[in-house]
Amino acid sequence: MEDKVLSILKELFELDTVDETCSQKTCGKWDSMGQLNLAVELEEAFDVELEPEEIGEMRSFGDIIELLTKKCRNSAKYC
Amino acid sequence: MNYFVFRNNTVERFFPKDYAFSGYGDISSVPAEADGYIWFYQLPVKYNEGQLCGQVRGYARQLEFVLSLVDPAKPFILFTMDSGLAVPFASGVDLMAAVAEYNAALLALERGYSNVKLLDISEFTRRYPASELFDWKFWFISQMGFSPHLSKPFAEWFARKLDQIASRRKKCLVLDLDNTLWGGVLGEDGVEEIKLGGDYPGKAFHLFQEGLLELKRSGIMLAVCSKNNEADVLDVWERHPDMVLRADSFVAWRINWTDKATGIRELANELNIGLDSIVFVDDSPSEQELVRQALPEVEVPDFPSQPYELPAFLKSLVEKYFRIYTVTAEDAAKTEQYKANALRAQSQREFVDFDAFLRSLEIKITIEAADEFNIPRIAQLTQKTNQFNLTTRRYTESDIRQFLQRGWKIWCLSVSDKFGDDGITGCAMVDGSAIDTFLLSCRILGKGIEFVFAKQVLSLLKEQGIKTVSAEYVPTAKNGLASGFWKAVGFKDNIIDLDAADLSIKDYYQVIIK
Repeated sequence: MEDKVLSILKELFELDTVDETCSQKTCGKWDSMGQLNLAVELEEAFDVELEPEEIGEMRSFGDIIELLTKKCRNSAKYC
Repeated sequence: MNYFVFRNNTVERFFPKDYAFSGYGDISSVPAEADGYIWFYQLPVKYNEGQLCGQVRGYARQLEFVLSLVDPAKPFILFTMDSGLAVPFASGVDLMAAVAEYNAALLALERGYSNVKLLDISEFTRRYPASELFDWKFWFISQMGFSPHLSKPFAEWFARKLDQIASRRKKCLVLDLDNTLWGGVLGEDGVEEIKLGGDYPGKAFHLFQEGLLELKRSGIMLAVCSKNNEADVLDVWERHPDMVLRADSFVAWRINWTDKATGIRELANELNIGLDSIVFVDDSPSEQELVRQALPEVEVPDFPSQPYELPAFLKSLVEKYFRIYTVTAEDAAKTEQYKANALRAQSQREFVDFDAFLRSLEIKITIEAADEFNIPRIAQLTQKTNQFNLTTRRYTESDIRQFLQRGWKIWCLSVSDKFGDDGITGCAMVDGSAIDTFLLSCRILGKGIEFVFAKQVLSLLKEQGIKTVSAEYVPTAKNGLASGFWKAVGFKDNIIDLDAADLSIKDYYQVIIK
């Protein structure tokens, strides 16, 4: 899951390198439009439905992993 | 090509990354540096049918206004509007009529301007059920008129449309005969036994021929390249009662046993057209492959495996190769007539310039002081607004409460017009005589509201006895469009003298101070 999220972040925000410290603060292209695109890419890649509140709270790589882990656990899905 | 997209909803995700976008429903600026323009307005989300119809009809007039401003040498692509989203409370007939009028207006513009191309959005939307096309979640969080999950198929469809617009219309369709214009093999089955007319599958080939005849009438040359005995074929053309296409339907033919690549090359020479003007249709995959390899300039579509697929195949042929996107010389006379009509329509327009457009909107601007009800929204605006944000300082609700206790003046802005209410979409925060924060949501830009708001804030400060006010612009990666704002308001070196400043406001803005 971590690698998939990192590669989504890298491609979406056009980063040369990406690691676990990636967050909205360190990433210039992670703006509101970026946030929307990120939510859509994550929904597609992990086959989950993210709620508006959850999308609003995703501000870093760590937030995303936490959220996806929770979503996948609740739906008994392997991610 | 860097296109500039005029839009009323969030559509960035659907277009290539290097495209630029207008504000929402914003026609106030037409960037001259764009290579081309796109007009992509979607049906607004609104239950009041009267307002909705007025808004849709207004879009057509706004488009005419924009078209009158752009360089006529640059391509301008218009998307039709899909009414699938509408909620038909009563009959829905008015709304259907308004959308139909809007689309008809776009069609008239395509005919009146040679640089304008119309793309029918329903060609894309009809592939999806309404529930897949639109997602209320993304409407509410991002004002998206299509589900963002459709951005990839949309981008593919749009890229193909752009190719079709760029490529020239093909001139000649070269057809095979056996199992292409009729079912069966003439040389084996005989003229009485080939399947044409009557019951299926014969009626599918008959309908296909009727379509091809219309294609010929639209100006496409039909030719034949077939491995057959020429005498047998001429006999079918003359005698078969259900043959729609006859010898005089074809400009030329090669009916012999030489290979088809040679036949097609000879046809091109005879007709004096380039191989790249030819589309070759043949049911045999091996013949298709031979021509693709020998004559790569010739377009060779895959042929359907079942006769009932022929109507869909003909439609795709027309859409891909034979649709008219540019006005040809033959249409010139007609075009002149359309132009005259367009001009007449122009003089009857509700607004002839931008001021008149703004006046027609009946804009109402409400400015109210911060209170417990609007502080959450003000904090949210400071957190989220990037583009028209002069200082980009992010504050929490408790920050704002503390500023108020310290005596800051904080106002928020609400805007409505005859089409609806956008709610609180701007705020100004003033510490003594220094403007700390000034921002407007990009949703309401393009109507001059930022100037009204700034001047009203300055007037309110002046009423309180303040003589000079300072303000600053802090550049970020996102707020370039606000860089010249303070100067345009009348600030010099970030200072304005309120006694000397022009704080007047155009009379078509109705301003309410609460």
